[in-house]
This record gives sequence, structure tokens and C-alpha cells, in this order.
Amino acid sequence: MPVDSFTYLPGSIANYYRAMQTQRIDPIPWTPLSKPLTESRFALVTTAGINVQGLEPGFDQDGERSNPTWGDPTFRRIPRDTTQDRIGAWHLHLNNRDILADVNVVLPLNRFAELEADGVIGSLAPTCYSFMGYQMDLGEWREKYAPEVAGLMKDEAVDIVLLTPA
Amino acid sequence: MLAHTFEAAGFSTVLVTNMPYWAEKMGVPRTIAVQFPYGHQLGMPGDREMQMTVIRAALSLLEDASEPGTIRELDIQWPQPFDEAKKDWQPLEPSPIVARMLEQRRKAAEQARGRGGP
Repeated sequence: MPVDSFTYLPGSIANYYRAMQTQRIDPIPWTPLSKPLTESRFALVTTAGINVQGLEPGFDQDGERSNPTWGDPTFRRIPRDTTQDRIGAWHLHLNNRDILADVNVVLPLNRFAELEADGVIGSLAPTCYSFMGYQMDLGEWREKYAPEVAGLMKDEAVDIVLLTPA
Repeated sequence: MLAHTFEAAGFSTVLVTNMPYWAEKMGVPRTIAVQFPYGHQLGMPGDREMQMTVIRAALSLLEDASEPGTIRELDIQWPQPFDEAKKDWQPLEPSPIVARMLEQRRKAAEQARGRGGP
């Protein structure tokens, strides 16, 4: 059965999304694998709006509450050895209960550490990243924050990125 | 959009999403589509097997996909009853934008009643 992109949405929000205009980028960018997965370094990037408590502040919920058409466009670093008890969850459009129980549902840190230990992948990068996915305007992601994360991932010799939009 | 930026910057990317509609509309290099509720792209909390199934599908797609725009759908049944899952992923309080929309609708309904409408 085909995946229904709207099945979990309330009807009014599904209709809103269906009516949204988006710009398709053609040609689609394409970077073929340059080496086997067993030699590749992975970074994980989510838009689940999570942070590491004590490392960086959470996403700006007050800003969104005072301007509901705005979402915090910044990103947070999630070191690969972050333990569950240090995960904070800030997305105002999700029930964050399961993320706070098991971060692997949106950012599979432990799963990729296991794949590294088993030799399935070369390595998990020292740093993974979280954005917060409620963005009415993608300009700051496009112009500033996504390129900044790309630069940070290059500095850590990342080859492949697993993306999990929440 | 993040996939575009990272792929164009020289990384190979794979997206795991429950909204392949956007992947198709915007044109994403490689997509794994799952019929999971929001906030659970890799699966249920504590379910290592489900999470690894999704991840292994993403790894296979990285190796198999030969052209950009490839979308592979996974046929994994979400274990919760649908009505429960549909309610469960949603925030305990309406998000600010939804709260604003609900307030606008309430005011519009009040004004309509004030004018003698339904």
C-alpha cells in the first residue's frame, strides 16, 4: 500500500499543505557514493527540535509563541556520545514524549554506533545536528544555517548524511 | 531543502520521511518513505529491530539508487491502532499557529452569531 503523506494530519492542516506552493529544484543535486559504506562516515541530521541540555540552549519557544508564523531557524549540535538523559525536546508541533524516551526514533545515535561497532559503516561522525522543522520561511536555512552545518560536517570528514525531518 | 543543500555540498544524502509527497514535489536525491506518525521517522521507542529495519533500508537505497529522485516505500505496519496513533503524535497543547487559527475561527463564529447567523 502506498505511503499516504497526509493520513496522520488533521484535515484542515492536510488541506493547507496540499495547497502550498513549493519550488522544485531541477536538476536534483546528486552526489554518488565515493566509497563503500564500510568506509564511509555518517552524520545524522534531524528537524525534530532537540538539543543537549547543558551544551546549548533549547530552541526558542517563546519567540514562536509571540510570533506564531516564526520558527527558530538555528541548529544544535548533538555529540555522538550524548546520553538519553541529556536530550531536550523543544518542537511545539509534536508530542515529544517518545523522543524524550528514546532519541533513536528521530536521531538514531545508538543504532549508528552499533553499525560502526559491527563494521557495517565506517563511522558515525563526532557531531550530529538538529534543526527545528516548523519553518514558514526557509531563507535562513538556505542562506545561513544549512551551509554552516555543511561546513562543520566537512570539517569532520563526513561522507553521507541521514536526514530525518520531523 | 536540507537534502538539496547537503547533496549539492558534496555529501550523499538519504531522507527518511512520512511525507514522500514533499520529496516528490521538491525533488529529493534519495528518500525512504514510512507510514509512521510524525516524530517517529525511525519507529517506535525502544524497538531496536524496527529502527534497524528502517536504517538498513536507507543504507540499501544509498547503495542501489542510480538516479536522483528515487523514493522507496517501506511496508512496515505501525503497531498502534490508527486513531490512537493519529492523536498520540500531536502536541498536548495546540501549537501557537494552530491556537491562533482556532481563536480566529472562534471569533468569526461569535461575530456570525452576533449578526444573527448560525
